[in-house]
Amino acid sequence: MGEPGDRGRQMEQMRKGTTTLAVLKLLAETDEPLHGYQLIRELEARSQGFFQFKEGLIYPRLHQMEREGLLQSHWEGAPGSRRRKVYTITDKGRRRLEAELREWETFNQGMRLLLGTERARS
Amino acid sequence: MTIDRVLSTLRARLDLEAEDEHEVLEEVRAHLEAAVDEARARGLDEAAALAQAAARFGVEECAQELQATHAGWGTLEGVAAAALPVLLALALRWLVFAPDGTTVHWQEMLNRPAVWAIAAIALLLPLLRFPRRRYALVSWAIFWGLSVLVIAGQAVHW
Repeated sequence: MGEPGDRGRQMEQMRKGTTTLAVLKLLAETDEPLHGYQLIRELEARSQGFFQFKEGLIYPRLHQMEREGLLQSHWEGAPGSRRRKVYTITDKGRRRLEAELREWETFNQGMRLLLGTERARS
Repeated sequence: MTIDRVLSTLRARLDLEAEDEHEVLEEVRAHLEAAVDEARARGLDEAAALAQAAARFGVEECAQELQATHAGWGTLEGVAAAALPVLLALALRWLVFAPDGTTVHWQEMLNRPAVWAIAAIALLLPLLRFPRRRYALVSWAIFWGLSVLVIAGQAVHW
């Protein structure tokens, strides 16, 4: 239906839309704060390469999520040495995660029903 | 190419508050250093590792998104920073002065809840709602400057 470029852009939009959910899920499952580079690597590894985008784009998303109160951050390392900004999920972030997971499941169920119907007709 | 050069490229494309810019650049520096370390551990030399890290990072795309995230309200912020204190100062003027133009006694003024409400709004609203601190400071300066001007001016019967 679409050209390869169109499908690539569609996948890119889908990835953008699910990055918040992916980041919240990852931080909720880890017991320690993670910095941006760790998040990128972990997302890539867990998704077996599906979540692979320009790495710098994680930072605007993290900053926006922090502004929304879904994450909180602090700096690790002494001033003058190599410091890293690490992120943890907040209670609000955990509530958002639960809500988005429910929405995701509903969406998935709807799509499975839809696609299942399409196959039955053919 | 060096990490500092990559950061300079990024910085040239950003227009943020100084504190925000410093934090963003420090965070990106840490990312690039980690990426270079990982690439070097895989056997790349310094130059190749940095080139790969910079390419994967996407300076142009990142700069665009960072600016959109941190830019605040844009022009609207400047307008609000100027309009809000003027409106609040006008409201305060009507509370501080009686209809005949005389100044309300300070004790009576302090007993008016509306005075406290306006002072609280003038103080807290810019602090809590303006994305960029400099606009909050401008708003405060205009409000308190206008208030002093109006009250002092009336007091000396300009």
